[in-house]
Amino acid sequence: MKEKCAKLWQKLSAALKPQVSADTFKRWFSAVELIEATDNSLTFRVPNNIYQFWIESNHMSALQAAVITAFGGPRAVKFSLPSGSSGDIGAEDAAALKQMAPELVRETKAAGSVLGLNPRNTFESFVVGPNNEIAHAASLAVGQSPARTYNPLFIYGGVGLGKTHLMQAIGQYVWAKKKTTKVIYLSSELFINEFIDAIQHSNLVKFRKRYRQSDLLLIDDIQFLGGKERSQEEFFHTFNTLFDGHKQIVLSSDRPASEIANLEKRLVSRFEWGLTAELQPPDIETRMAILRMKASTMQIKLRDEVFEFLANRIRTNVRRLEGALMRVASFASLSGKELTQEVVEHLLKDILQEEARHSITIEQIQRRVAEHFDVRLADMTSKRRPASIAFPRQVAMYLARELTKASLNEIGDAFGGRDHGTVMHACKLVKKRMHEQDSLRQTISFIDSSLQR
Amino acid sequence: MKFSVTKEKLLEGLQQVQNVVSTRTTLPILSNVLLQANENAVHLTTTDLDVGVRGSFEAEVEKKGATTLPARRLFNIVRELPSSEIQVDVDGKNTASIRSGQSFFKILGLPEEEFPPLPKFENAKAVTIPQKDLRDGLRRTSYAISTDETRYVLNGVLFSFKENKLILVATDGRRLAMVDIELEFPRSHEADIIVPTKAVTELQRLLTDDGEVKVSMGSGQIAFDLNNTLLVSKLIEGNYPNYRQVIPSEAKERVTLERETFLNSLRRVSLLASDKSNSIKLNFSKNNIEITANTPEVGEAKESLPVAYKGREFSIAFNPEFLMAPLRNLTEDEVFLDLIDEMSPGVLKIQTPFLYVLMPMRISS
Repeated sequence: MKEKCAKLWQKLSAALKPQVSADTFKRWFSAVELIEATDNSLTFRVPNNIYQFWIESNHMSALQAAVITAFGGPRAVKFSLPSGSSGDIGAEDAAALKQMAPELVRETKAAGSVLGLNPRNTFESFVVGPNNEIAHAASLAVGQSPARTYNPLFIYGGVGLGKTHLMQAIGQYVWAKKKTTKVIYLSSELFINEFIDAIQHSNLVKFRKRYRQSDLLLIDDIQFLGGKERSQEEFFHTFNTLFDGHKQIVLSSDRPASEIANLEKRLVSRFEWGLTAELQPPDIETRMAILRMKASTMQIKLRDEVFEFLANRIRTNVRRLEGALMRVASFASLSGKELTQEVVEHLLKDILQEEARHSITIEQIQRRVAEHFDVRLADMTSKRRPASIAFPRQVAMYLARELTKASLNEIGDAFGGRDHGTVMHACKLVKKRMHEQDSLRQTISFIDSSLQR
Repeated sequence: MKFSVTKEKLLEGLQQVQNVVSTRTTLPILSNVLLQANENAVHLTTTDLDVGVRGSFEAEVEKKGATTLPARRLFNIVRELPSSEIQVDVDGKNTASIRSGQSFFKILGLPEEEFPPLPKFENAKAVTIPQKDLRDGLRRTSYAISTDETRYVLNGVLFSFKENKLILVATDGRRLAMVDIELEFPRSHEADIIVPTKAVTELQRLLTDDGEVKVSMGSGQIAFDLNNTLLVSKLIEGNYPNYRQVIPSEAKERVTLERETFLNSLRRVSLLASDKSNSIKLNFSKNNIEITANTPEVGEAKESLPVAYKGREFSIAFNPEFLMAPLRNLTEDEVFLDLIDEMSPGVLKIQTPFLYVLMPMRISS
């Protein structure tokens, strides 16, 4: 392994030398050692943290370019600082810590374990948009001063919107800052299983000690606690002990605490005690930002149209968005074919179909428009036609035409069996009025954007 | 507790301490200011548990005592008071009555016992520094502090006391600023400590042109005693990276530049540096520097700067903000720019011991 690494490093050095000045190479790379090379990552040992800071900030692009030249493809680059007293231990960078974390944890489980934290889930890799601003800011505040700002922090939102990412980011941030902090991250399901296990083997004391002595307790998917009465009771006491001891608690769920079925009132009220932050599906700009960020970390280059296409068509779920990007990128690199819209559409057939099911329905439009103009939903389909009802109905028809793929006839049917001429007239009228009145244009774009979310 | 004081003095006293008060906190006491009235002065203390400031103002004290009052509210009230004479009377339940002219305010405080005491610095290593030197030193370095919270050791200024010198260093990984201050202190006081950004900012506000500041170093804490004001801060734990590694050992070309002229040119040209690439190019030729910036689809800017330069012709690109930051914070008329080649860091120097290393940006052409 060592010899192999030395050989690889020689090859890499040769590719790197033309990329940087001779002085830079001598100063920053002559002391670097390649200690681990896998198919997708390289780990370099540097003498101390200034090497890592400086290379990361200034020579990363040159290094990546050299990696591509030498190995034919990009690799994730990691840095490792010498352990023991020889280096600046206290000054290790978070990134280095994270990649060392799994080994460290296994050795010193009792001292400060951060089991199950994905090193990729950090605050830096989290794309902030208007949909998740508050949750991000709150998480960062919690990371910076645990148990002093928002305790407990309750994050909720749909699947694939970043709950786990934020929680793990808090855990890693706190742990990187102070390694003696005892961080525990687990899903509520694991909590329940461990609890059952503890009852079975009658070592409840050990179980309690483990959780009640943590400095930061992160519990993911707390909604699974619903209906598990004994586990709830146990968790209730754990919660109280930690809260009274000024320890930070962070919880995540796919719905607000009050909507978790079969969750005891006292727990609900405690969950709502601190700050509750909601994660919403990202808007189009944020989706673009996520794609670009992901693409640059994966070292893939795609044309802007492809990004736009993906961001436009996949709206609900960040995880799915990343999956689609991955699929497109790997197709591009494997086949070497030009990515046209047809190709991408074909590639992502199943995902797009799935998305389409989540797309806007005429009924949603009717409901939202009725809500906005304060008319009854039934008015959307009724035969009555005073202006106060007819106009909202026309707006809804217009939006249905713009936002769904339904034909004029289908739209007419959905609005109480009107014929296609009525729908066409409505669209024309609304368009004309939007042109004349700024306020109407704003109203409609507001409804539009609230539907798009 | 009861005292009367002029509006000016009270306001000045509050201004010194109120920046430290944290805005978001679960400990309500931390948004309060501690007032302690004795003989003929009132001491004010605020803290956010990381940084604490203690100041005072002269007052006619009728009855000694202590209490804590909401800092921001008190400050806002005092600022708006109509008359210059203010009377403050605090009862046993920490309720303060403030009278001034025709106005009367009553605000509720918290008992002084709840206020966390500032750490004590007994037997701490102490070094005395002229205030002006420290203020100038911090001004010349603090702009380079990193705001990247994952590199938390860089979120402050390094104070390195070594061999009768205080070296101040700040870096964010792309640039580094360093100042030497000559000082005398015993060898036993040599230490490397990192003072966090917030303390540096507050300290810069408090330091003046005259007098001295006594720096006391305890374990994990530092105190700056400026005669009538005291600033206490936690230190950043960890070792500051070996900054010397960054400083280039030799320079091939040196140009002498008039600081203000150079800064003004940069400021003008940088108007057309794009947010994306955000770089400006310096093209060196005989007795001339041409500063250029261009953004596709926006436009370009060019400016010539006559200088004494006889070296080879070459171009180097920098981030304009990073190049302007030291120029703004220096006061000297002349600065020296040392360069090696287009890929090696540039170094900005002045007559006195100051050094600013800046990494160039890649020129894409």
